[in-house]
Amino acid sequence: MMKKRMMAAMLAGAMVLSMTACGNSGDTGSAAGTGGDTAADAPAADAGDAAEAPAAEGSVELVVTTTFAGEDSNAQNYKDAVKAWEAETGNTVVDTSATSDETFKTRVATDFETGSEPDVLFFFNGADSNSFIEAGKVVPIDEIRAEYPDYASNMNDDLITASLVDNKKYAVPANGYWEAMFVNTEILEAAGVAMPGADYTMDQFKADCEKIKAAGYSPIAAALGNIPHYWWEFAIFNNQSPATHLEIPENAGDENGQAWVQGMNDIKELYELGYFPENTLSATDDETFAMFTEGKAAFLIDGSWKVGGIVGACQSDPNDPATLDSAKLDKFDVTYVPGKGDRKASDLIGGLSSGYFITRKAWDDPAKRDAAVSFVEYLTSDEMVPKFAQHGASALKNAPEVDASEFNALQVKAMNMMAGTTSLTGAVQDLFAGDCRVSTFDGMPEIVTGRVAAEDAVAEGLDAYHNQ
Amino acid sequence: MGANIYRNKKPALAFLLPAFLFMVVFLYYPFIKTILNSFMHLKQLGAAATEFNTPWYTNYEEMLHDPNVWTSVKNTIIMMAVTLVGQVGIAIVLALMVDNIGRGKQIFRTLFFFPIVISATALGLMFNLIFLYDKGMVNQLLEILGKQNLTDWKAEGIALFTMMAPVMWQYVGFYFVILVTGLNNISDELYEAARIDGATALQRVRYISVPLLHNVICTCSVLAVTGALKVFDLPWVMFPKGMPLKTTFLTGTYMYYHTMETKNVDYGAALAVLIVVLGVVLAKVVNAIFKEKEY
Repeated sequence: MMKKRMMAAMLAGAMVLSMTACGNSGDTGSAAGTGGDTAADAPAADAGDAAEAPAAEGSVELVVTTTFAGEDSNAQNYKDAVKAWEAETGNTVVDTSATSDETFKTRVATDFETGSEPDVLFFFNGADSNSFIEAGKVVPIDEIRAEYPDYASNMNDDLITASLVDNKKYAVPANGYWEAMFVNTEILEAAGVAMPGADYTMDQFKADCEKIKAAGYSPIAAALGNIPHYWWEFAIFNNQSPATHLEIPENAGDENGQAWVQGMNDIKELYELGYFPENTLSATDDETFAMFTEGKAAFLIDGSWKVGGIVGACQSDPNDPATLDSAKLDKFDVTYVPGKGDRKASDLIGGLSSGYFITRKAWDDPAKRDAAVSFVEYLTSDEMVPKFAQHGASALKNAPEVDASEFNALQVKAMNMMAGTTSLTGAVQDLFAGDCRVSTFDGMPEIVTGRVAAEDAVAEGLDAYHNQ
Repeated sequence: MGANIYRNKKPALAFLLPAFLFMVVFLYYPFIKTILNSFMHLKQLGAAATEFNTPWYTNYEEMLHDPNVWTSVKNTIIMMAVTLVGQVGIAIVLALMVDNIGRGKQIFRTLFFFPIVISATALGLMFNLIFLYDKGMVNQLLEILGKQNLTDWKAEGIALFTMMAPVMWQYVGFYFVILVTGLNNISDELYEAARIDGATALQRVRYISVPLLHNVICTCSVLAVTGALKVFDLPWVMFPKGMPLKTTFLTGTYMYYHTMETKNVDYGAALAVLIVVLGVVLAKVVNAIFKEKEY
């Protein structure tokens, strides 16, 4: 028995030792790897010093989350910029960027709640950022400037959006956006419809849709069951004016509330007239976008980021601009969204709705503070911002002259269109975020099919908003 | 003395403790917390609950009036029926047929089992292309056969079929392999004796294979029904947010929708509790119906 116990004790001891050895070997491997990286990127440092010095330059790993992913026009620009910053500083970026949707927003909010937020975040500066600003988990620009006086000094402070929570400025903007109507001119020609201009009205739009439908095409490319956001915004805007658009109604019965209800009913009317694709309630946004680029749908209301998507669809290799089919791209144009009432077609939605936040976690970490500031400064420098802003707006104090020769045909058309804009108003949905959107966003199919009255859906959303 | 080591249970308990702690931390604690959260107000996922809802059973009351809850429960029960008939049923037929062929059994086993190893998300994306409205594979085939108009396979009325067909297809191979293994365990002597007695192939299946497979079929049925409760990824990829018109929600996808999309986290917790209750009740019912026999 004693023998067995001895044997068991020896075996257990051997097991513990082997596990310790495994742990050590892992550590050694890790240290060797770090050493290897260090040797490649910077002069070799003494291993003991490296262990003691938390802020060794050129060895910081930043976790960064942005919306520059998927079909975003700046996805490649962002990748290139990160690579260049890594090469310049020797730091590394763990990129957790993703296409912006409700799941992404939930993920970001949850990361903040559970303490696993990124170090730097490119995110919306409207109501979507309220929760982590309320929790004090991001650092105001003024606080950063107290230690880094040049931080965002190249930006026009008046154009940096203040938080809805405390009116402080947190996010350094990189590029602005606009929302307008893209047009497949090939379909317009086939249907005998003229290219819409700055005086385009909803009545003219409906007449044109009728002709396009009669010619066998789908007039509007939109997936109402998936992404009704753009139509939602402009349909409401069409029943208001630039001065009143950002006022959230008290209830569905007041003047503004009735404008919202009328907006929903306007979309319902277009649906009943058969101007959306036959599968608009079951299609995804990607599917209806493909209908637009493949010449099956004529009009697409979307944001400035979609320019890149359309250009990509005109390239045989979406990642290689050299493969661009210019003749195909020439068939696309961009114009104003048909107006109604006090809103002119050239009154568009747009602004600087996103920016770079530095989180409190990174700011309080001496090893990461410099790197986080350096990263944001690099991505928002005078040289980098124009690359991201392209044909859109920026908050730069000294925006460089735009060299149109660097742009493709659609970007030039976009610049010309923007030159004729009479006003640029922010999106009210940025203030109306979270569960209050559900009844009119996810509920759009029920509204257009008449299963839920527009008035009830708007009232439900406003109740949720005012109970937040 | 030597036999005493088997009577001493303490070492066994010591070895069970880590697994038990793991279960407590990652299963029982979250489960109890979910029950609590379903009565409380949660601002967003990950946030600590600060107060009870007023009244505390608000979410459960809302569930009773929420038509989407009933849609999701109904769809989940349909999914169970489909898995029973479509997965286990087809698997039985395939297993019996493959068992009766002389050569190539292994090839069929591999072919039928293959969909299991593919991620459900990848399958969802693939079936999205197959059922794509604008010239997906199915619509192209129908066009070749002379159909003039495109069919919207995700339209209301047909969406459930489009959602359940791939789920059914994916798991047939799983039950097929279990059933083939069960058939292999039946002695050849029984078949030989039946053959000598003049039994036809169908009679051999009816009076030997099926009765002796009873317990295996029961196990497969229990697995299929409880598995249907957990189906999530493929339906969500193909029909996000219950598209179209919230008609394709399953209990799992509806819970996820409220937790991740509408930010109504405490209602999502209440739905999670409903799923557990539904699972326990249905598992009991299925176990009672498909009771294994002692031979």
